[in-house]
Amino acid sequence: MSDAATARSWRATAARVLFSDYFVLWLCVVYVAVVAPFTPGFLTLENAGNLLATLLPLFVVALGQTLVLITGGIDLSVTSIIGLCSITGALAMNDDTGWLARSPMAMPVGAGVMLAAGALVGGFNGTAITRFRMPPFIVTLASMMGVSGAAVWLTQSKTINRLPDAFNALGGKTTIALVIALVVGISVHVMLSRSMFGRWLYAVGHNARTARVSGVPVNGVILGAYICSGVLAAVAAILYTGQAETGSPVLGQRILLDVIGATVIGGTSLFGGRGKVLWTLFGVLFLKLVDNSLNLLSLSLFTLTIVKGVVILLAALLDSLRTRLGPADR
Amino acid sequence: MTHPMKFFLRVCLLAACTGLVGCQKSETTSAGTAGAKPLTIGVAFETLQTEYWVAGFEAIKADLKKRGHTMLEAVSDGDTNRQFDQVKNFITRKVDGIILVPKDAKTCLPIIKAANAANVPIVLFNRPADKSDAKSVAVVADNFALTRETVAYLVSEAKKAGRKHKAAILIGDLGDINAIGRRDGFDAAIKGSESVVEVVARIPTEWNQEKAQAGLVNALQASPDINFIFTSSDFLLPSIVSALKTAGKYHQIGMPGHVILGGFDGDATAYQLLKDGYLDATGVQDVYFEAAQCIQAVIDLRAGRTVPDLIRDPGFVIHQANLQQKAAQMWGAQMSKK
Amino acid sequence: MTSAPAVEFQGIDKNFSGVPVLRAVTFSVAAGRTLGLVGENGAGKSTLMNILGGNLRSDHGRMVLAGQPYAPGHPTDASRRGVAFIHQDLNLFSNLTIAENIFLTSFPRLGGAPWIAQRRLHTRTTQLLHDVGLDLAPDTPVERLSTGECQLVEIARALSVDARLIILDEPTTSLSARETDALFALLRRLQAQGIALIYISHILEHVRQLCHDVVVLRDGAVVAQGTIATFSTAALISAMVGRSLTQLYPTRHGAATGEMALEVKAVSQPGIVRAIDFTVRRGEVVGMFGLMGAGRSELARILFGLEPHASGEISIAGQPLAHADARRRIEHGLAFVSDDRRHDGLCLHASIADNLALVSLRSHARGKFKLIDRTGWQRAISRIREAVRLTAKANDDQPVQTLSGGNQQKVALGKWLLMSPAVLILDEPTRGVDVGAKFDLYQLMLDLADRGSGLLVISSEIEELIGICDRILVMSQGEIRGNFRRTEFNRETLLTAALPRETQT
Repeated sequence: MSDAATARSWRATAARVLFSDYFVLWLCVVYVAVVAPFTPGFLTLENAGNLLATLLPLFVVALGQTLVLITGGIDLSVTSIIGLCSITGALAMNDDTGWLARSPMAMPVGAGVMLAAGALVGGFNGTAITRFRMPPFIVTLASMMGVSGAAVWLTQSKTINRLPDAFNALGGKTTIALVIALVVGISVHVMLSRSMFGRWLYAVGHNARTARVSGVPVNGVILGAYICSGVLAAVAAILYTGQAETGSPVLGQRILLDVIGATVIGGTSLFGGRGKVLWTLFGVLFLKLVDNSLNLLSLSLFTLTIVKGVVILLAALLDSLRTRLGPADR
Repeated sequence: MTHPMKFFLRVCLLAACTGLVGCQKSETTSAGTAGAKPLTIGVAFETLQTEYWVAGFEAIKADLKKRGHTMLEAVSDGDTNRQFDQVKNFITRKVDGIILVPKDAKTCLPIIKAANAANVPIVLFNRPADKSDAKSVAVVADNFALTRETVAYLVSEAKKAGRKHKAAILIGDLGDINAIGRRDGFDAAIKGSESVVEVVARIPTEWNQEKAQAGLVNALQASPDINFIFTSSDFLLPSIVSALKTAGKYHQIGMPGHVILGGFDGDATAYQLLKDGYLDATGVQDVYFEAAQCIQAVIDLRAGRTVPDLIRDPGFVIHQANLQQKAAQMWGAQMSKK
Repeated sequence: MTSAPAVEFQGIDKNFSGVPVLRAVTFSVAAGRTLGLVGENGAGKSTLMNILGGNLRSDHGRMVLAGQPYAPGHPTDASRRGVAFIHQDLNLFSNLTIAENIFLTSFPRLGGAPWIAQRRLHTRTTQLLHDVGLDLAPDTPVERLSTGECQLVEIARALSVDARLIILDEPTTSLSARETDALFALLRRLQAQGIALIYISHILEHVRQLCHDVVVLRDGAVVAQGTIATFSTAALISAMVGRSLTQLYPTRHGAATGEMALEVKAVSQPGIVRAIDFTVRRGEVVGMFGLMGAGRSELARILFGLEPHASGEISIAGQPLAHADARRRIEHGLAFVSDDRRHDGLCLHASIADNLALVSLRSHARGKFKLIDRTGWQRAISRIREAVRLTAKANDDQPVQTLSGGNQQKVALGKWLLMSPAVLILDEPTRGVDVGAKFDLYQLMLDLADRGSGLLVISSEIEELIGICDRILVMSQGEIRGNFRRTEFNRETLLTAALPRETQT
């Protein structure tokens, strides 16, 4: 009897940890403790700075993905949006040929152009999904291809540098990037937890039919989620472009796995209805810690990719465990 | 065949194949620094997706090992921001120098600046950066000179055959400075010999095998008498062979109807075709020389010696006559032996 | 009955994380007899059946099946031992044919080869369909079948594996009266063949009609058992509820006012409904009776703007609605509790609070960014919880899925309360809800009417409509065939009006 009681309390503790908002943060702590002793340079201030610089833009894209996943959709086009925004922004404000060249307004207007481009693609995705009832996977897969094609075509696959210093600082100076990411993160957090739109997002993700019957403008909510995702991808493009000091049509093309992986590791469900800003932050942190430590260990690309794949798979497993064992099914 | 023993040794020691010049130079000048203290060098490649980069990567690895230095490796798989992270990680790990293959000439500038700021010497392998205030050294093949030399050899073969030749060139992606250098080298070699070789087809490939094949098939239909083909890269050779076979024009050297064939790079396919007697010549980028020069540049920069911003790999032309002698230096030959 | 019982439960105990859900459950079912298993939702019926079916294992106690000890580790063990389940939510693949559904796991093969013996499949299916009285071709896709026909296919599937014990869980909830009669006739034939049945239902009349014996579960324990004849319906109910319910329906206090709440004029949609004309006044409770397939649910969805209609006019509180969508209709004061709670009524995985607040969210949004006023929101939720008498055990953050059917329905209804709808359409509001909760729901509906809402209650249960409505409309074949005032209420008249014309005698 007492055995059963201990087993029960142990299981209760395990459940509490598993369902806690901070579960992935604990995972990060454990990972650092395990890996730090044999990873040279892991626990240095300099490395923390590096980690932060690479984490911020990924966090911002992943936030957009979180919103879309909450509605039960998926946005595969975010990486292409980053490329498109990077190149349109660079075309607009580079010192040589840009129409904003050397203008004092180059930075704000250029950034605005990038955000608009992101919103445009997001709006296209959302419209195609809601108006024509096409599955999000196919729509965003198609726009991923179309948009990245357009980005490459715009400059014939060339990259553009000589961007305004003020613009480069947005992503290149970690403190500024941190402020941008914080503002974005807090806004999205308030939107999700406190605003009507946020509650609607969850309702649509849980059950779109019920939401519709309850008077939720389902199509508008889904459209909004994809536009947000596009805009946030554009913000990430600003950070990435600033870091590279160059506009490139293929910027960020390889990070799709990281974006979706980090979001899901954080605990946002691929089945919709669940997701939080904090979860995504921890998911991104975890993925970047893994990435950073493996890099510092100077493992070959192949090992690195395999290890990352395994980590993401494990996270997906945890997600399904959480869904299956969650209080929802008891 | 004059130095069979030396040849044999070179084949065995793949790692030692750094070219005569490079070898001698490194042994004399680096004895003081390299012998004193083993260095840690970070090697960051943008991709390992084609044979050429793998060969370069392996050559650097082997050379560093031979010299007793430690190598940290990172491949960014085409992602500039990731490469930036990787280089920053190298700096965190306090490497003594960085050898970099950037994605392109521009996006690498912040990376170079980061290395400059940390006072870590950085050398670019085979792809130079755009001009800027960021300081780096680049080791690159002399595309123009080597192509001119290769095509000049082909022209001389055409002269020997006597009759007038109709030529086709497969041009690379003109967004790529290497492709432009090779096209210009080709044009320079043909210039003055128009009476022997007349260029009837210039086929844009954009570095795409399907486009190359379709373009060549069309050209062979338009001018069935094409009997002189130069490709700006050896990796298009399989497409050329296939197009020639379809047209019934694939014959060995010396056979009637042979199409004079030349290329650039020196990959494994080129080596095989040379051996089988279908390919006349190819301009070989001397990967081992470039690897050795990169490492040497890092060592020299650390020692405070001045190093030119651009180190040229003259490469060499390999053809039927010098095949045996030069094969050991041809990276494609070494790859195909593996 | 001298032979061994078909199944015997001996002292079954089961705990879920420390909470006992079954306590020393002991009873048996004899071969060739039907046992009615009744109890409120949460009494432990499903848990017991899950143990019988091999989905769960008991903590203590044992089961004996046809004289042999029986401890299934997996659902396949149960089917191998001749135990078959017919579930409330039918488990058929609608994209496959009848024959494929029946033989999904046991296709007749050609010798040992992995080819299906088509002819044998066909003849065996035809035979089985004949046995259950279903006159359909074996290769009919299941999606073309009515719910009642699906039920029969499920039974055919049970027969195909020579089931000796069949458990039916609320088989009649979605059947018309005629289909129910046909089902019962079939079940009696099965009894005669020596098959034992366990029949689970909230509809006590059906239990009375069909069963020989009855077992009442309450809070996981058997509180009454015996032959059905020894129990009055009132006795069964008080055993289930644990107290005696003096009345099944609350008393009606208010009455219709003159103000028009809902006006439907000549609404038609080809193939679905034709020339529908009726009105609901504020404070009025209008029932809508009809058999399955009469077009009632379809009409409800048309009224709410979820399905289109070709012609006709719908006005709410005097405001004509052309072809506005559901959202606009809600703004006009229309509310709808769908019969499909799982898909249209609730976000099952979302919390009670989120479900309750969904409709009235807009009224709590403040400022340009539409931020939610949390305290007001919280207050509103506790007010609804109180009004719908939601079980006190559940907390606001708990997913709705964890609630019993009755409490889920209270949430589905409760979310409309705050908007004080002009018209509330309820489609089968008490389906799958136990007796105690039913009373609460009726009370809630009448309270709404008393506060001035007009109610349209769609139901297949004549009794409940007679119990709570001021007026009953009868629908059949997509048309309204009768409009009866309270004084005219009569079971037979209503049923006759509901029967399709060509079968009327």
